Amino acid sequence: MIPGKIMKFLEEDATVAAGGTRSKHLIPHIHRVSGWSVGPDRQTISCSIPEEFTHDLLSSLADNGQFALTVEQIGTHETYQFKGEYVGSRPPDEADLVVFERCRERFGKVVSSFYPYSEEQSRAYVMNPGIVISFKVREIFIQTPGPRAGHRLVPPEEE
Amino acid sequence: MELPDDIKPVMQNEIPAILISCSGAGIPNTTIISQVYYVDREHVALSFQFFNKTVRNTRENPYVCVCLNDLENFTNWVLHIQYDHSESEGSIFDEMDMQIEAIASATGMSGIFKLKAADIYRVNSVEKVVYDPVTS
Repeated sequence: MIPGKIMKFLEEDATVAAGGTRSKHLIPHIHRVSGWSVGPDRQTISCSIPEEFTHDLLSSLADNGQFALTVEQIGTHETYQFKGEYVGSRPPDEADLVVFERCRERFGKVVSSFYPYSEEQSRAYVMNPGIVISFKVREIFIQTPGPRAGHRLVPPEEE
Repeated sequence: MELPDDIKPVMQNEIPAILISCSGAGIPNTTIISQVYYVDREHVALSFQFFNKTVRNTRENPYVCVCLNDLENFTNWVLHIQYDHSESEGSIFDEMDMQIEAIASATGMSGIFKLKAADIYRVNSVEKVVYDPVTS
């Protein structure tokens, strides 16, 4: 189960996310993520992925089911990685588009405050969702830059 | 595969890139990196600062996918690269070391990053992803 602090981070603070899969030949692939939400079980994350980044997505997930999502808050650099198993995919629905707009809004505000791009231009950089994939979280790692980056939070790593 | 000239400014735009590696056991790892360094037309370098999952993975499975962000032109560059070797001294190492300190200083993280080696990767493929900006 995703801890409350990280739930809040995902829902209110995080500004950018990216997913990773691998093919049956262990070749990794990047999938930009335009929006993310946690299901009522607090274990399943749904990710909206733009059409342009679906190359090898479903074939890799069908082959081995492995998905790794990294989510960061730009500025503070607070970052977590979620690893787990593919549950399913579907076209984006109304609720996904609401989540996409919320994530896009946060991205635009934050990026325009750190980089020389307007809020509108920054928002426009977040691509429309093409497909939504869901995965069940197995492990959560802290990835905030520093010596503790890579430390597993869930399930807790033995010190 | 050769890197085109128009990728160079994107490598220097100070916008973080996304890196996906994969362990020998087949578990992908997604991470955000501060920069991808242009070495020559067929090679890029990534910084090795901590003995982290990416470093462990690339020693087990050399294949890596990197995505560069160009917010100005609504473009991504997706590179499939392959770990070749590491350099812990020399001109590439020195230049990366200086750039890392500059980025760390600019992002309030001075002293956290320390370069152990410049990991050199061969470029296997380059894809330019251009898309229409989302306006509403």
